[in-house]
Amino acid sequence: MAKSSKNFQKFYHIYFLFNKTYVWRRPFGEDRMLGTFSKLKKPILETLIAILIGFIGGAVLMIIFRYDPITAYVALFQGTLLSVDGIFESLANAVPLMLTGLTFAIGVRSGYFNVGAEGQAYIGAMGAVVLAGSISLPPGIHVLATTLFAMIVGALWSLPVSALKAWRGVHEVVSTIMLNWIALYLVRYLIEYYYYEPGRAERALPALPTARYDVIGASLTTFIFVAIGFIVLTYFILWRTTLGYELRLTGSNPEAARYVGVNYVKIVFLNFFIGGLAAGLAGASQVIGRPPAWTIYKTLGNVINLGFNGIGVALIGRNHPFGIIFSSIFLGILLYGSRFMQYLGVDPDLTVAINGIIVLSLSLPELYSIIRKHIVGGR
Amino acid sequence: MREINAITKVGVIVITIILIIAVVGGVLYWYTSIGPAAPRKVKIAVVSDIGGRGDLSFNDMAFKGGDEAERDFGIEMVELVSKVEADYVPNLEIGAKDPDVKLIVGVGFLLSDALVQVALKYPDKNFAGIDTYSQEIVKEKYPDKYPLPNLMDIKFEEHKGSALVGAVGCLLAAYYNEKGGSYPYIGGVFGIEIPVLWKFEIGYKWGCDWALKWYEKKFGRKAPIIGEDSRYGSGPNWKDGMYCPPETPGQCWYKGRVLWTYTGTFSDITKGYEAAKPMYAKGAIAVYNIAGPLGLGINQAVREIAEARGLKMGPPFWIGVDANQDWINPGFVIVSMMKRVDKGVYYATKLVLEGKFRDVVKQYNGVLTLGIGTTVMGTPMEGISASTLKDLDEFIQMGIEAEKLVGKKVLPMSPEEIKSKVKEMRESVASWIWDALAELEDKIRKGEVEVPLAFTKDAIDYWRNILG
Repeated sequence: MAKSSKNFQKFYHIYFLFNKTYVWRRPFGEDRMLGTFSKLKKPILETLIAILIGFIGGAVLMIIFRYDPITAYVALFQGTLLSVDGIFESLANAVPLMLTGLTFAIGVRSGYFNVGAEGQAYIGAMGAVVLAGSISLPPGIHVLATTLFAMIVGALWSLPVSALKAWRGVHEVVSTIMLNWIALYLVRYLIEYYYYEPGRAERALPALPTARYDVIGASLTTFIFVAIGFIVLTYFILWRTTLGYELRLTGSNPEAARYVGVNYVKIVFLNFFIGGLAAGLAGASQVIGRPPAWTIYKTLGNVINLGFNGIGVALIGRNHPFGIIFSSIFLGILLYGSRFMQYLGVDPDLTVAINGIIVLSLSLPELYSIIRKHIVGGR
Repeated sequence: MREINAITKVGVIVITIILIIAVVGGVLYWYTSIGPAAPRKVKIAVVSDIGGRGDLSFNDMAFKGGDEAERDFGIEMVELVSKVEADYVPNLEIGAKDPDVKLIVGVGFLLSDALVQVALKYPDKNFAGIDTYSQEIVKEKYPDKYPLPNLMDIKFEEHKGSALVGAVGCLLAAYYNEKGGSYPYIGGVFGIEIPVLWKFEIGYKWGCDWALKWYEKKFGRKAPIIGEDSRYGSGPNWKDGMYCPPETPGQCWYKGRVLWTYTGTFSDITKGYEAAKPMYAKGAIAVYNIAGPLGLGINQAVREIAEARGLKMGPPFWIGVDANQDWINPGFVIVSMMKRVDKGVYYATKLVLEGKFRDVVKQYNGVLTLGIGTTVMGTPMEGISASTLKDLDEFIQMGIEAEKLVGKKVLPMSPEEIKSKVKEMRESVASWIWDALAELEDKIRKGEVEVPLAFTKDAIDYWRNILG
């Protein structure tokens, strides 16, 4: 009992210091009266301000390098939002990012800094290549089997991280980054020597037609529904099950979680495993859910950075599954739209910098709150 | 009280959102409603592959061709650099959507599928691919649409260019053997074994054979060591170091003069080094790079030998590919087989402006092959040559621009030093080597000799039996 009250005091104290009103209301349940929208209003307002700051920052950068920011931004949104293809392409870009974003977000929800989505996506993509490209199965079953297989191998790639974390206390940032590199070279090796397309040495075996998702338009396929479905499912697990409650409790107050008997080892394994499933699915999306290549290149150019961009997506989306859907679409628009700025003559490297400023300014509020929690929370 | 406050805040947010949407919408509307004012320049869009700018090879050369077209035809080139493979389709499409763009060029075989997809969608626009095989994809996937009238694959006669440098290599061996050296071989480091590389392989071997026969005729004797030695083979079909197979009655060949290795990679530079090193150890005088960046591995092997022996100039040499690579290690790159990607972009633009693009596509089933002595509808369009001192300037310029782009040192020494060193190297070997090169080029151009083109398994087996 003494421990519990100590924890409560600590918990209370932290929030009291930084956000008086939040803690003030919470113990008495007053915020319920205000409805859902009021819970959302602060993040929405912050996001809008951050968008504004980001775009102004990008504009300043363009002015410094003597480009016309208004024309460039108009071109960006005209190309992406005012054409059907533009919308489809932006959504196609968003599909893998919402999944890798989810990986990071679940991690943060349990208090882990899981940057392993990158490597798990490589492995997932490779798994998809193996099953979709080199094995014949009846239609329907082939798609399903490939999707599941990619998810599972992605998740298996997370096991060393969990094991090292749970039993040896190795920090997940270290182990995931190391495994990302191992995954990169492993996949390159497998493509180079075993799974290259004959006569097309630059890439792996393409998915057989039976393993492909249907194309909706441009590069968008029905894979997007699988991605969104997975995210909704994750939301239910996190917010509507005991398991999800334990996961989140571990993140918000690990000591309290331990006190009420949450199995730490289980949480670690489960968290990274779900993250791995999502990242593996993200990798698969580039193989069985994206024309025209339907495979990965040996450079891994079409899976590289998915995991790291996912971190930005998660931060912009406030590490909430539904927020992530919107933020991934936003980043998808930026990624697709930067070519329209490039077309006007804006240097391609500068367009990357502009996107970077926007993403960074959007990530700051959530990043700030994570850092605050980690430093002040003393985890 | 708190609830009223909350409602006000909600209102503020809603109004802010509406305002932002209104402003963005207004600006968009204002910009879109300004129609095109004056007639604008014709544009071409050049889409790079992921190598991007500053690769000193394919992409830089394509943009160089676009620059030249800008200069000569008064058009405007839009550059689109692809960062990842997923950029190919959208980048081609953005060009296709611009009404001023008449030609969209995709650089590199990686863009083949993307070109097909976009060309099908925009039948009014013209598409050209450098080194692509898009029409083969069309033939396979959409046989009723083959050949697609708005799509041109631009290919190159690499076998002819390889014959030129093969000839230089074997004459170089003959020359240094005359002076007391012992160079029984030339070498070739290849990438992954794909049919395109067979063209290089057989062309190279054939060029060596042609050169040794040329030597025999000119000097009335066999080339020392490389022409006469019996190490290359013996048996019923062998005569004076030559192979006289029953398949070619009355004709004998200089078989086995080329050491060759397929490394199985186009990216692992160390494999280039590993393959080249034993070749030099066996006495190859020059090694031909047919594996892109693996040339740097070959260069590494040459550099080690040069350091160990304190050489300022070859032998040993290596032979460059695609671009003029003579400047990479001046004094050690004897010659380069140049594949003029820039000319491909330039000629495609020319054909579009003259309104002949689709006729050419129709006439040649969608494949324009640039080589030595190519003429297309009466206009000479060459795309293959052996490097010369004269075109070294252009490529040094490309190196200077790449230095600006990547912010790193690219050139090994100052442009003047490079030029004088390459000149010195070329003058250090017998002038008849260069005469022979010119003669072979001339003969190919006039159709007096035909370099074998091996593109099928049967053809490669046949020629390997004859030439080793």
